[in-house]
Amino acid sequence: MMRFAQIITGIALALISCGLVWSAERFPPPDFESGHEMPSPTTPHPRQDIYEYIDVVVLLAALGLASYLVLKKRSRRAIFALTVFSLLYFGFWREGCVCPIGGTQNIVLSIFDAEYVVPITVAAFFLLPLVFTLFFGRTFCAAVCPLGAVQDLVLCRPVAVPSWAESGLRLLAYVYLGAAVLFAATGSAFIICRYDPFISIFRLTGDLNILILGACLLLIGVFVGRPYCRFICPYGVVLRQLSRLSRRRVTITPDECIQCKLCEESCPFGAIKKPAAKWSDQDYGIAKKRLGFFLLILPVLVLLGGWAGSSLKAVAARAHETVRLAERIYLEETGEVTETTDASAAFRATGKEIEELYADASSIRAQFGFGGWFFGGFAGLVIGLKLIGLSVWRQRTDYEADRASCLACGRCFEYCPREHVRLEQAKEVKT
Amino acid sequence: MDQITGKANTRLLVGILIGLAVMVAVMAVVRLDVIGRKGNGLGKGFKYDIEELTRVDPALIVYEESADAIETGLAATHGIAVDSKGFIYVAADRAVRIFSDRGVILGEIELAEPAGCLTVSTDGNLFVGFKDHVEIYDAQGQRQASWDSLGTNALLTSIAAQGDDVFVADAGNRVVIRYDVSGNVLGHIGKKDSFRNVPGFVIPSPYFDLVVSRDGLLRVVNPGRRRVEAYTFEGDIEFWWGVSSVDIEGFCGCCNPVNIAVLPDGGYVTCEKGLVRVKVYDSEGQFAGVVAGPSQLVREGECRVCDLPEECQAGGFDVAVDAAGRVFVLDTIRNNVRIFTKIEGR
Repeated sequence: MMRFAQIITGIALALISCGLVWSAERFPPPDFESGHEMPSPTTPHPRQDIYEYIDVVVLLAALGLASYLVLKKRSRRAIFALTVFSLLYFGFWREGCVCPIGGTQNIVLSIFDAEYVVPITVAAFFLLPLVFTLFFGRTFCAAVCPLGAVQDLVLCRPVAVPSWAESGLRLLAYVYLGAAVLFAATGSAFIICRYDPFISIFRLTGDLNILILGACLLLIGVFVGRPYCRFICPYGVVLRQLSRLSRRRVTITPDECIQCKLCEESCPFGAIKKPAAKWSDQDYGIAKKRLGFFLLILPVLVLLGGWAGSSLKAVAARAHETVRLAERIYLEETGEVTETTDASAAFRATGKEIEELYADASSIRAQFGFGGWFFGGFAGLVIGLKLIGLSVWRQRTDYEADRASCLACGRCFEYCPREHVRLEQAKEVKT
Repeated sequence: MDQITGKANTRLLVGILIGLAVMVAVMAVVRLDVIGRKGNGLGKGFKYDIEELTRVDPALIVYEESADAIETGLAATHGIAVDSKGFIYVAADRAVRIFSDRGVILGEIELAEPAGCLTVSTDGNLFVGFKDHVEIYDAQGQRQASWDSLGTNALLTSIAAQGDDVFVADAGNRVVIRYDVSGNVLGHIGKKDSFRNVPGFVIPSPYFDLVVSRDGLLRVVNPGRRRVEAYTFEGDIEFWWGVSSVDIEGFCGCCNPVNIAVLPDGGYVTCEKGLVRVKVYDSEGQFAGVVAGPSQLVREGECRVCDLPEECQAGGFDVAVDAAGRVFVLDTIRNNVRIFTKIEGR
């Protein structure tokens, strides 16, 4: 027995010494004299591809179910249950990524950078909600989007946002979308992901400032329904426009509006439009003049916005790492700063030409200058169209869910007496 | 009345709360450091500080800079060689420029593509290594021969000529190719071969140098193993020297030394990247002193220990030695040549 133990010990020692010799052959860590022991590096296994396809299937199923629940079943309770599921699955389980909102940037980058290829699953995540919105309204927002879901759950004491504030704040989302497209197209940054307010909550970790941002939005969301969705979400901007064209959409009443006004205050998102009284001749005349004026200044607003956007190129281009590096190297070369940064030292170690770096940075600035015209022009166009929209009278005889703003949450259903009649009839048919 | 006042108060409170939340949210966005301007937030204790390693004991420095640096005027220099007359040859992207040891331009050979390495044979012919093949130029700069391509994977980084043999280091294929002067391949050296106890070359970055030593053996740098290996012309490995260490005696990082040259006394000059150091070893591979340390060769803050090969794929200096034992260091970042002479008495 003793002999056996000695043999085993001998073999083990021999193997250990062989291992030490072999490890010395490869890249050893640098020598430290502090007594610090280098931890063994751990590399997490990449997520298996199959899960990405499962995510797409779950998204598809959730969108289909949400559309059914909103349009056919008309059940707020079931929509709420699906919202909770989406929050748990796409939010906490999938940690908020991949999401259609951020996927916008992947699509944009793939358009402007031929070398960038969008994974098919990301493309599916981006496109599927758009297709469903085109056919069924914003059912993605209703019960599938985890960002919407987390806000929906905290909405306890809704207060009405004045329509002027609602209209003004909504412009933020358009500007955010324009900026996201500009930064993605230039390969500078994915700002939607970078400033995703709820990602730290979903991942239960992250930057403190993002956590604070998310907490603040949730606090606001206790009183103001879904502030991110209504005033910030860039994907929501696209969904709004598609929802205007949607083939089917949410209706407050299952059949006819009896103008009982019970649903008037039911929507926490201000998406219910009251019947519109016809303008008086005097109001009509004023609106006509105003419309003419706004139509005239529309090109001015577009050009002014474009000029302003382009003027910001020097500042905006700093979002690109190459520009930041070039500016830092310039400061070092001109002696305005004496210390190097990790990035500038690494650049110098590559041996690349500084002039080449400057040329790259200039090229990127030019891209921002060019893209800035589109970004600013887009912002000017949106403001102009918004002003024009205020001067146009739209006939409305019933209480209706606004095609663009309605998030299809189904809260208004139970306020409608006709809905109760429908439910009673359905119950009778069953019995 | 009280009910109305209560409602108004509640609305005011909610308004204030929302206003405060908006302000805090805006501050959080403004304070967010998305480009790492504020650093990683870790204390000094977490800093990977290699400043200590860049310091070299002055007593160990046995060379001094003996002349002004020669400004090559070239854009992207890669290699340096010195011939028996003391003329300096610098290979760059589209040319080989020839200098006197005082820095006077003696000539220039225009090239069709970037040259990675070069050497001058005893009969004055210039062997220039391109990415995948070798070309020979006479003393007047006329091309005499162009050898066959070694394929798309080839990346020639060093060349040495000795008598009828020419040795070419191919970093892409991790092998040394032995040619005759006519360009016929005579053999391959250094391919991993457990039967011959050849360990194989580990080349994480495009630096792979060789010299023919005065003892008739090849000295080939095996940078991934941080050592210099001695091979016969037939490819048998004889011995090696060099230890892995950030100490001045050793080689550190992912892949060092990057270049090597033979001294007239049989010793060696080595050149390291990352933690840029040029050092001298005797013919047995024992550390003998320092030619120049990081503070003499690069600006403060430019040194780094490249634990990962990705960090140091470029920026390696080249080194050559003339018959008088002067060390010529090619600074591939500033594209100049620094000349160092041994301090008498050391």
